[in-house]
Amino acid sequence: MASTSTAAAPKSTDPLEPALLIEGAQTDASLNASLFDHVWTAPGKGWWGLFGIALMGLAMLGIGLTYTLYKGIGAWGNNIPVGWAYDIINFVWWIGIGHAGTLISAILLLLQQKWRTSINRFAEAMTLFAVMCALLFPLFHTGRPWFAAYWLLPYPSVNGIWPQFKSPLVWDVFAVSTYFTISLLFWFLGLIPDLASLRDSSKSPTKRMIYGIFAMGWRGSGRHWAEYKWSYLLLAGLSTPLVLSVHTIVSFDFATSVLPGWHTTIFPPYFVAGAVFSGFAMVLSWMVPARHFLGLKHVVTMKHLENMNKVILATGMMVSYGYVMEHFIAWYSGNPYEFAVFFKVRQRGPFAPIYWLMVFCNVVVPQIFWSKKARTNILIMWIAALLVNVGMWCERFVIIVTSLHRDFLPSKWELYAPTWVDWSIYIGTIGLFSTLFLLFLKFVPAVAATEVKELRHEMAHHAHGATAAGEAHG
Amino acid sequence: MSASNDGPGPIADRDEMAVPGGQTGAQGQEAARGRVSLPIVEEARAQTEVQSRQVRKYWRSIAEKEGSRSLSAAAAREFPAGAGELPEPNRRAFMQLLGSSAALAGVAACHQPQEQTVPFVRRPEEITPGLPQHFATGYSLEGYATGLLVESHEGRPTKIEGNPDHRDSLGAARAFEQALLLGLYDDDRAKQIRHNGEPVAWRQFLAEVALLSARHGSDGGARLRFLTDPTASPMLGELRQRLLLKFPNAKFTSYSPVASDGAADGLSAAYGRGVEARHDLARGAVILALDSDFLGDGPEQLRLSRQFSAHRAPSAGMNRLYVVEPGLSVTGMSADHRLRLRAGDVSRFAQAIAAELGGRGGFSQLAKLGGGRAMAPSDAHEAKWVRAVAADLANNRGRSLVIVGRRQPAAVHALAAALNAALDNVGVTVSYAAPLLTDLRSGSAPIAALAQEIAAGQVDTLVITARNPAYSAPADLKFDKLLGRVPTTVYHALYEDETAPGRTFFIPAAHPLESWGDGRATDGAITITQPLIAPLWGGISDIEVLAAFLGEGDQTSHKLLRRSWQAKLASIPGATDVDYDQVWEKWLADGVIVGTETTPLGDLTLDFGAVARALQDSNSAAPKGAGIEIVFAPDYKVFDGRFANASWLQELPDPITKLTWDNAALMSPATAKALGVEVERDSDKFSILAIEYRDRRIHAPALIVPGHADDCITLPLGYGREGSERVARGVGFNAGALRMTDAPWFDRGAQVMRATGMHLFGITQNHWSDEGREPAMEVTLADFQNEHSEFFERIEGRRGPQASIHRPVDYSNQQYKWGMAIDLGKCTGCSACVVACQAENNIPVVGRDNVVVGREMQWLRIDRYYTGEIEDPEVVVQPLGCVHCETAPCEYVCPVNATVHSDEGLNEMVYNRCIGTRYCSNNCPYKVRRFNFLDYTSETPAVRRMAMNPEVTVRSRGIMEKCTYCVQRIEKKRIETRVEGRAIKDGELVTACQQGCPSDAIVFGNLNDPTSRVTKLHADARRYDLLHEIGTRPRTAYLARVRNRNPELAKG
Repeated sequence: MASTSTAAAPKSTDPLEPALLIEGAQTDASLNASLFDHVWTAPGKGWWGLFGIALMGLAMLGIGLTYTLYKGIGAWGNNIPVGWAYDIINFVWWIGIGHAGTLISAILLLLQQKWRTSINRFAEAMTLFAVMCALLFPLFHTGRPWFAAYWLLPYPSVNGIWPQFKSPLVWDVFAVSTYFTISLLFWFLGLIPDLASLRDSSKSPTKRMIYGIFAMGWRGSGRHWAEYKWSYLLLAGLSTPLVLSVHTIVSFDFATSVLPGWHTTIFPPYFVAGAVFSGFAMVLSWMVPARHFLGLKHVVTMKHLENMNKVILATGMMVSYGYVMEHFIAWYSGNPYEFAVFFKVRQRGPFAPIYWLMVFCNVVVPQIFWSKKARTNILIMWIAALLVNVGMWCERFVIIVTSLHRDFLPSKWELYAPTWVDWSIYIGTIGLFSTLFLLFLKFVPAVAATEVKELRHEMAHHAHGATAAGEAHG
Repeated sequence: MSASNDGPGPIADRDEMAVPGGQTGAQGQEAARGRVSLPIVEEARAQTEVQSRQVRKYWRSIAEKEGSRSLSAAAAREFPAGAGELPEPNRRAFMQLLGSSAALAGVAACHQPQEQTVPFVRRPEEITPGLPQHFATGYSLEGYATGLLVESHEGRPTKIEGNPDHRDSLGAARAFEQALLLGLYDDDRAKQIRHNGEPVAWRQFLAEVALLSARHGSDGGARLRFLTDPTASPMLGELRQRLLLKFPNAKFTSYSPVASDGAADGLSAAYGRGVEARHDLARGAVILALDSDFLGDGPEQLRLSRQFSAHRAPSAGMNRLYVVEPGLSVTGMSADHRLRLRAGDVSRFAQAIAAELGGRGGFSQLAKLGGGRAMAPSDAHEAKWVRAVAADLANNRGRSLVIVGRRQPAAVHALAAALNAALDNVGVTVSYAAPLLTDLRSGSAPIAALAQEIAAGQVDTLVITARNPAYSAPADLKFDKLLGRVPTTVYHALYEDETAPGRTFFIPAAHPLESWGDGRATDGAITITQPLIAPLWGGISDIEVLAAFLGEGDQTSHKLLRRSWQAKLASIPGATDVDYDQVWEKWLADGVIVGTETTPLGDLTLDFGAVARALQDSNSAAPKGAGIEIVFAPDYKVFDGRFANASWLQELPDPITKLTWDNAALMSPATAKALGVEVERDSDKFSILAIEYRDRRIHAPALIVPGHADDCITLPLGYGREGSERVARGVGFNAGALRMTDAPWFDRGAQVMRATGMHLFGITQNHWSDEGREPAMEVTLADFQNEHSEFFERIEGRRGPQASIHRPVDYSNQQYKWGMAIDLGKCTGCSACVVACQAENNIPVVGRDNVVVGREMQWLRIDRYYTGEIEDPEVVVQPLGCVHCETAPCEYVCPVNATVHSDEGLNEMVYNRCIGTRYCSNNCPYKVRRFNFLDYTSETPAVRRMAMNPEVTVRSRGIMEKCTYCVQRIEKKRIETRVEGRAIKDGELVTACQQGCPSDAIVFGNLNDPTSRVTKLHADARRYDLLHEIGTRPRTAYLARVRNRNPELAKG
């Protein structure tokens, strides 16, 4: 099926792609070997160690949620006026993190960005797991989740009661569930050829059967490939608006309210930028160690990392612009309540340290990526990515808690403090995410092997065609 | 479905069914036999099957079917074995069973014929199940009765309201009286008569009393003493007289920890005989309150609030209130001008006023009361005050009032009487009448005399019906220890409190709502207080306890009372003995006996010389020393500690400090700074202080209150309880531990220093400033009368229609358009409405810890903002519940439609539908929504549940709630008026808060009725909408407060 000749390392001659996307002299076989290696080899001590820690985190989630169901929302630190706190902060944070996957998979696919291939599987999986973490909160943040589980859905009830379609929370349900469904399908579709490869190369009959079931009878026929390409493109087309819509709608939870600090028209684009920003940061924070430990340096090259840093810089600038505009409008509108929120409460109130941490992480830290040295330094980019994750969590805290805790009437201003349950659930979702992610690394190729192989061919063809003045299209 | 089935569905289905063997199951088999059922046949057959089932005998288990004998025997029982037995009792259930069975045993033993507690075998004519009844009764606090109306559902009291026909209530009720309901159903109440701690029956007690009486009879009761609450009850007075006839050498002592002995002594000195002052603000134009909290405290509070507030609208001819006091009070918050002075300096101020007036023409008799140079104002500010106030009083001669509070010593009261007399106020704003209380004095002096007798071993038997003297008596008497030296003590109380341990006999008292009695209003009008329910735990009334010593303990208080009043019938105007039953019924129904008011004394002359002498004595004894002044105050929530077990009151935010579940050492910011008080930033944590006074030392957390006098600390009484009351225990500190016989209210010389540690308070509003947002608007009278003042510019921007892209809903074609108006000028912040709302709407109490984190549940809150200087601010208060926005921000964000709008404009909360996202609260600009963060209701003790209003849903965990404009009252009235075929009239429908409000600040009604009060108030020049700029179109409008400033004091 594939050429087995040991082709010389393709030297890039494309001025737009000056750096290498695949390093070394790779063949399909060598790629298969290296990309599937982490699936076939038994997990080492490192994996088990991490998995153990992740499971402990997952247990904290279980404890936190069980205690909340037993005790009520009073187990958390929420109060009146701070009706939402860690619950919705974490929801928005996780949804934001889930944005990188779709952006990389869908938009970059449509834009024919070749560098996406090595990281898209990774990012898509993160999207799925992040959205799963996020989905916990709309359900469990309610006082009566046993009703919320289905009352939020528009189903024909004998009482003739429908959800309130004016409420952004209902839009959220649609937006997030659509997003999750499409992301899952998209991820799974992309996995099918690789699952077939795993089936074919597996040595144990059990594994062969399991991978065989999920490979859905993929035989690699021309018709399969044609259908596959089309559906992949279609799903990419479907996902693309979702990248913009999901966080836009999440931002409506705030933007459609009357609360100073929430009632802002800039929220939709600013939330989307923030989501991509945090999503890329999260991908980077996991990718950097993963490429090292899984031996993927030849396919996830410095070129990929640098590109991601560029995206972080760009979206970071958009987020900073959002901050500036928020403050400008608060001043320019002459609205005393908004002015108070942006210039007094956030900057000088009891939660000011979190605000300034947010400014540092989201505005100052990304500026380091103007320098190519920083963009290509593994340690710097990893620390920066972690700081951006912290910064984006702080941003949601600033938006949600600081706006709520001091709103219109000073008589009902209250402080907010999280309880151990809040922390337990938050850490627990990180545990859930890590657990799923480690399982993903164990059972599924972290890099889309099919696409990398395709890219290798494409680039070999390119290099060849450039000299032969042949067809430019792959 | 196969590809060939492309025809219309039903036909295709029938085709399939017709194929033999094509289906499995009954339907298929039937189809195979060619019996194709049409749906209607199917239905008919189903019905016959159901009928046949009804006659079939079902078996419950295989064993029963098989006919096992033992099992069929078991099946004959309705429930499996063991189900009828007690479940394994947990501690609480065990205690409940223990308590109730013990109490029931007691009941069976002592109250043989329970009168009028027969269950309704035939329904009495006036009772309709489901419809509440109202009964008039009364409650005596500090000796004077306030008339009450109690709502009763099927025999259980559920709500306490004021009796509109009673002059000291006028339809309103204080927080204290409203919270009596919790006291009635309080599971912590004493339930057992005890003899040296052992349970005994009432009859055994009577036998013991008979022995005691016989013993004391020999020497005329020379070693028998009674310690009672101050009272004006004719029945108790009569019993006392009869006891004194039987035991001529016995003595009665009244004791109240918050007695107004200064007034009694001062007026006695001034008029040469004991008199009581009665105040009347109906015609008062200028009021000078000297350390007097007449709007927040005292038996006249409700009436004075109504009269005062009637003159707080510019249209009504405004009065002007000057308040001179150490710490902010409810009255101080309502003042037009307020001067902060230490309690010990108030006398100086009053004498300076007298001197200033004496220097003017026409007040020469006041000149010698001036106190001279020693009593001159201490600074220019005070001097300016003296000049301005004296001038204002002089200009309003005959329509002014000088009123002095209970803390002040006799000389100040005497001086105030002299000022009122000189200002020709007597008979207009103040009048004097013969005392109604059986004992003129009930403060520290009488109990000190009793203590002396006890210490001297002159008392063998002490009968205590006074409330908890071991806790509340002056600390230097060590009364709790002294009680141990009396051979026989009988203590009659609602709770086994601090006084109960060690008593020879303990008698559980019947709650005021469980007992017969009588009382007098401050004007002497008599109220018969009737029980609303038979004693829940066999309590005994004080009448019965005293009667026991007359040998009439086997008589019920009802009999004693009826007989007594029958004998006194001749003294009641218009009453005859012809049909006593009818007269009695009318008294009970009215709640007040018309014509029993006593008239003020007309032949009094004030002895100015005596006043001068009293002042001289007082000045020479006045504390001049250095050191911090400590001032005691009755608490707005627990009073002297007697209401400390009522959780509504404990959780009620203090009108001034907004403190719940605590008391604190209140002080000014400057004093706090001088004492090194630390406040944790953005938190309610304050330093704990050690306060040392005359070798006594207490630890008390500090709390900074703007407007407090410097070098002075106010210590509210009634906390730090150590009795068996579970709610009260461990809340706050006992300020009474520093009270001395000779300084019951204030003294200097306290040493205050920081102790280790910080204390976290549960304060519902810790932000003082309104941040310049002016949610509670105010204006000076001068500005209000000037139509070009910038006030009108401001207020015009806060009312009226706004540009909107939405077309507002048109409510004009509705029969009712509900709305409310709250007059900030009238609201004193007394907080009676908050408790009224809590009682009416089954609002749970959440406890201190939840208040600390901001989860209090009261639907109605009273916001308090300070303006001006932090050391000497002005205060404005603003009651705020749901304002029922026409374009409510809460409604469109709820994902499940749980909060929706009614046709009449109510913002309704559908509890059943709520899933608790809290989004509505986040989007509520007023933050008036309350969330059930935890399960606050399901562990409510069964007896406490009897207090629940059956017309209001009890909310479960995880749902949102808020003010409904008392929708249950609206619907009830709607049903009533529909039956009668008419519309609801203005004024016949009131919300609970409106009903409880003594100052008439809240008006509710139909905005579509152009003649209704609320419509008129919505059109008032002072009307504005809170947060109008957001465009919520609230239905509750506010009326800006007007301050009637004295131009002399206003400038500079």
